[in-house]
Formats: sequence, C-alpha cells, structure tokens
Amino acid sequence: MLALFRSIFAPPRDLILIIAAAWLGLALSEKRARRYMLSPEMLNNLVFVLMIAFLLGGRLLYAAEHLSAFAQNALNLVSFNTDLFDPAGGVAAAAVAGFAFGQRRGLPFWRTLDALTLFFASLSVGLGLSHLASGLAFGQETAVPWAIQLWGAARHPTQIYEIIAALGILGFLWSRKSSPRAGGDFLLFVALASASQLVIGGFRGDSLLLAGGLRLQQVVAWAVLAAALISIEYLLPARAPAPAAGADTAGAAPESGNTARRKVRNAGPAVSKAKAPPRRQTKKSRGPG
Amino acid sequence: MQPIQRRLISGLVLVAGLLLIFFSADKTGASTAGRIPAPQTGFLAPEFTLSTPKGERIALSELKGRAILINLWATWCPPCRAEMPAIEKLYEKYQGQGLTVLGVNATVQDNPLDIVPFVQEYGLTFPILLDETGAVARKYELRSLPSSYFINRDGTVHYVVMGAMTEALLQTQIEEILASSN
Repeated sequence: MLALFRSIFAPPRDLILIIAAAWLGLALSEKRARRYMLSPEMLNNLVFVLMIAFLLGGRLLYAAEHLSAFAQNALNLVSFNTDLFDPAGGVAAAAVAGFAFGQRRGLPFWRTLDALTLFFASLSVGLGLSHLASGLAFGQETAVPWAIQLWGAARHPTQIYEIIAALGILGFLWSRKSSPRAGGDFLLFVALASASQLVIGGFRGDSLLLAGGLRLQQVVAWAVLAAALISIEYLLPARAPAPAAGADTAGAAPESGNTARRKVRNAGPAVSKAKAPPRRQTKKSRGPG
Repeated sequence: MQPIQRRLISGLVLVAGLLLIFFSADKTGASTAGRIPAPQTGFLAPEFTLSTPKGERIALSELKGRAILINLWATWCPPCRAEMPAIEKLYEKYQGQGLTVLGVNATVQDNPLDIVPFVQEYGLTFPILLDETGAVARKYELRSLPSSYFINRDGTVHYVVMGAMTEALLQTQIEEILASSN
C-alpha cells in the first residue's frame, strides 16, 4: 500500500498532493472568511498573490544563488523543473507580497491570518503526504511494530505521525468556534503545529544536530511555540470588537475588500448593538466568539 | 479558563518541551551519517559493478574521491534524450576537475540493440553501463526515467533528481559535488 502510494506520487508528482491540499484549504478558509469580516473573494485574491510570489520568489532567489548557471541560458528561469527552486526564498517572497497586498487593500493583519489558518493547516497535511511520497523527513531506525521499511532500514514512520498530527490540528481548528481575539486562531495553529514538530522531531532520522546532539528542528519548534504562547498571552488585544450581527452569514461582509469602507458600513450595527441594552445572546448573535 | 491557569499551562508545556529536547538528543551523531547505503541525500551511494557495451567492468567503489553523476536512462525515454546533450557538454567541461558521469542504461527495460546507436547519435564520451538484470534500478529504487544521483567525493548521495534536468540544474549540482570534500 505504502509502496504503491510512493510509486504513484514519486517526485515531482508529490507536488500534486501539496496543490490539492492548498486547494482544499483555500475552500475551507473561504467558507469561514465571513466570520472574520473578510470576503471570500478577497481571501482568494490574497492566496493567489501568495502563490505567485512563492513561485517567482523561489525561482528568482535560486537563480540569484546560482547566477553563473542561469547567465548562460536565461530561459532556465521559466523552466518547469521544480528542482530549480529555493523554498525558503519562496516563503519569504510570499510573506512580503502578502503583507504588501494586505496593506494596499487595508486588510486587518491578525484577522486575515485567522482567516487563512485553515489554509495553512490543510497545507501542513499536504506537506506530510508529500514527505511520505518522497521519503523526506524520514524517521530514525527503530524496532517498533509499526515501523516502515525506508532507506535501507526499519524506521519510525515520522511522515505518518506528521500527517496524523496535521489532520488532528485541522479537525480541531475546523470544529472549534473562532477565537474572539484577533490573531487567536492563527497563533493557536502556530502553537499546535510547532508542538507537534517538537514531539515528532525527536523521532526524525535526518535531524541537523547541535552541540550535545540537540536537534535543531526541535529547538526551532520550541522557540516558535514559546513565541506563539507568549503572543497569545501578552501581545494580542484582549478581545476584538464584536463583529456585526450575523457576520458569519452570507452577505454580511462587503465584497469589495476595502476595509475602510467596510468599517464604515459595519460601524452602524456594531455601535448600535454596543449601546443596546443587554439581552440574552443567541447562538447566532454571539458570532465567532 | 482563567488567565492565571492558562499561563501556568503554557509554562508547563514549555518546560515539558525543553525536557523533551534534552531527552531526545541524538548522542550517536547524525542519524544517517552516510552509514547505510540508500538512494537518498546523506546516505552512502549503493555499490554496484556493471559492464560497458565493450565489456569493461566499472565498480562505483573504485571511483571514491571523485564527484560522480549517476544517470539512469533508456533509449525510448524522451526526457532522457532531452537531457543527454547537456550532460555530455558539462561532462566535457568538468571532467578535468574530477567529475565522473556514469550513464547507467536500464537495459532490462530497453532494447540492447538500440544502445550503441543512441550513444553514437549523441556523441556521448562518458562511460555507458548496462544494467542487464535491473539490480541497480532496484538498489536505487528507480521510480521514473530518467533519474539522476549526484554523489559527493566521500561517496554519500548529495542530491537526487527524478525526471529530466535542465542545464542550469545540472551545472549547479555538479559544482556543488565538485566542491565537496573527500
């Protein structure tokens, strides 16, 4: 079964799994966009910008690192060869482009990240599947009954651990109500994802080692986890302003994506609601909280 | 949950994380460390001995100290044909610096009569080896043709490419294995 899966999705076909996960994640995020007072169309545009920037940035940075190879034939810049790519450069370019796009369109920073949380969570599942297909991020040798035969030894199936953890996080985030604090959902995802990497990192067989045999991936995961927990506790605003009544129902959020205009439109009901005498909240009126 | 409880739990999680890092430290050194033969980055390149069409035998172990590109190909495979001119060009450019290219023909799934005309058609000057039993394809877990394995001077796998390579990719990987230490 595993051999068949690895054969079907052998690199570079493993990228299909990541693309499928991104597509699914975007669909889930769009479904939830209005909870964060964002239009699905705007979220779609943002993800499109992120992906284009990721592809362009990754290729251009790789070319910059290997100028001599590309100088002889500039057409390699548009090659379909996926190995001519710097993933870290792609992520950096996507982050810069996404931030610029958000600023230009006046998107609220934390709420936009919250809205993208399911996209990132789904992408993590795709990444785990891709690792399983390519054999990357493999585990260390072991005699546990559930070990898989990979790269000449019986190993911890760390890729399967990764998929299970990512699916669990995706399911948990999907099933829970949105955090009332802007940024709360995104930082919760970061904390859970880094905690899972912290645990799984201990079973990896390809770890970069620091002094005393400490694993770099675990140290980085712990630092990210600490940053996420501290941010949740001390940096986020106590509670985001309550969204307009019914903000999680279709049509509540404006389609234009212009936040300034949106604020004006939403100000009325939000303010009048705040001034209204307290009443028992219904499930719907509680909105994302 | 009260903020104080939340902070306590966060603190405990971080302390547990630190303990986990220390307890799962790998005291034996890098986990793979080029000890096991496998067709994956960081592992020892699986050993093989094959013959050329002229009957000369070449063993991978004899080439230790040289940067090696192992290219698995077949005459019927269009991407293999597409990348051959670039491989030959870069072999001529870098062989003086210690590059060896081994063109391993997947003979078990090819027509042996087509091999020599193919080599002549592309003017290939690097050694062509015949994998007549499919043993090398199995050892290198061949999943698609062409597949290329860049081997460092110390005999460990530096990079694996499945599918056709462009000249730019070939050059960057060749320069990296040439720069590797023995």
